Amino acid sequence: MNDSEQAVTISAEGEVGIVEAQDFVARTRFEFESGGSIPELRLRYETYGHLNAARNNAILICHALTGDHHCAGVYSMEERKQGWWNFMVGPGKPINTSEYFVICTNALGGCQGSSGPGSINPETGQPYHLDFPKLTVRDMVRAQALLLDALGIERLHAVVGGSMGGMQTLQWAIDYPQRVGRYIALACGARHTAQAIAFNDTGRQAIMTDPGWQLGNYPTDAGPVQGMAVARMMAHITYLSDVGMESKFGRRRRCSAQEHFDVEFEVESYLRYQGQSFVTRFDANSYLYLTKALDRFDLHSPESLDATLSAVTAPGLVVGFTSDWLYPPQGNRELVEALLRLGKDASYAELEMDYGHDSFLVRAPKLYQLMRNFLQR
Amino acid sequence: MHPNNTKKRQADFQVIARWVGEGERVLDLGCGRGILLEYLQQTKGVYGVGVDINFDGIRSCVKRGVPAYQGDAHQMLASFQDNAFDRVIFSRTVEQFEDPDATLQEGLRVGKRVTVGFVNHAYWKNRVHTAVFGRRILNEVYPQPWYASLPDNPFSVAEFEDYCKEKHIHIGNKVYLAGNWRDERKLLPNVLAGYAIYDLSR
Repeated sequence: MNDSEQAVTISAEGEVGIVEAQDFVARTRFEFESGGSIPELRLRYETYGHLNAARNNAILICHALTGDHHCAGVYSMEERKQGWWNFMVGPGKPINTSEYFVICTNALGGCQGSSGPGSINPETGQPYHLDFPKLTVRDMVRAQALLLDALGIERLHAVVGGSMGGMQTLQWAIDYPQRVGRYIALACGARHTAQAIAFNDTGRQAIMTDPGWQLGNYPTDAGPVQGMAVARMMAHITYLSDVGMESKFGRRRRCSAQEHFDVEFEVESYLRYQGQSFVTRFDANSYLYLTKALDRFDLHSPESLDATLSAVTAPGLVVGFTSDWLYPPQGNRELVEALLRLGKDASYAELEMDYGHDSFLVRAPKLYQLMRNFLQR
Repeated sequence: MHPNNTKKRQADFQVIARWVGEGERVLDLGCGRGILLEYLQQTKGVYGVGVDINFDGIRSCVKRGVPAYQGDAHQMLASFQDNAFDRVIFSRTVEQFEDPDATLQEGLRVGKRVTVGFVNHAYWKNRVHTAVFGRRILNEVYPQPWYASLPDNPFSVAEFEDYCKEKHIHIGNKVYLAGNWRDERKLLPNVLAGYAIYDLSR
């Protein structure tokens, strides 16, 4: 390999490097779909790449339930952990930051810097707790639209998201057809199945029956930690697949188990760790609000799926994953079937992967190629 | 399953394009990489949707700007209302359906017209080959030995026309192509046609 070839290889795929979160603050009342309001709106967000002069190369990425605005890069050279979609977002990557200006916000109702039940109500100086208005996916999207207004972006090249992010993506295409150039919704659906609602409510019950919850009024440094951990353990199972768990853990044991109910199997250890680490990074009330917003999300209402999707004008790509039993392929397909019935430009692709619902977060060259093709056309 | 030769692979494109009207709504079942639909988009300004079970095909369609759906043709047809499309195209796919009659009937429900293109299994060279050698023919059209082929349900011009008669399916246009899949043939199609294309309606 000569030098020039090497240079090409290096520049073909790079990292966004060190990034910094920013805060958008709108000091006017933000009205929720439910009728409630908050005195000011805060959204924490990150951007990668450069907005071009025509301001038409922006891509908005919407994160999943417990994701955040940090989807690429690192906060410092010492930090090993990269953003949650680092392999997808960067120079030369499928969402190419050499070409596009990428924005990712922490969802409204979340707990990593955006307005949510855990943030301080400027009118009282106290956290909102359960006074935070009832939240919908439409509210999350409208908050993002206000940020785009502030950034001077009239129209997005694309909106992209998986799971809850996929629902936001669809809501974008429905609510702001004139602002969406195209959209990619991964591992999502038009509404939750009874099973998805059942899992969410079991998680919520674990939190709300924990004495630490205190009707939502727990102090910042304490809370329903046991309930949160159990909710997370259970939810995490729904993000994986039977086959995936079997190949990752099987019945492998840890030798350290002494007592009868100590951690014995690797899968127990893994899930308990997931539960414990979740408690330190996520707010219980945010979890309640966000899961409820997802359970209520329903594109079949008020009239029908076709009626709701008739507002869409942008070309869309929906991707389902064969082993996803939380948002199964059928629910993804249903969206595209409706869009095609309506004569829209929409495509459905399905990837055979063993990682369950989380497949869209896993390295998959086939998915990269597909998304690249769609974003570039 | 399609032959490697581009001209042969796209043998029925010209004929199908002749029958497709400007700006029609077209559903291509078994669209592969979306080449026919891209061609129809460019030449006829159609709204075309492709269906294929193969991910790589769908990815190519996405690249071409052809709306495409990865999944089973029969199941996908069921999601559409009657006459949702002006034309439903089955180009060398009927041979591979689990229940060809049911899928064709669904096609006739969803499409105002249905185009079917298929390799005539009774083409004389196929007959001679089987009679002389007692083996499946291996050539450009049937490139793989039996053990490396998809389940296939080959049929002939005569059998297909019998079927249409029996099911009261109206045959509008039909074109028989010679063994080279290029020149049109009118005489003795069940023997001399290598490929046949039909324009059907209820």
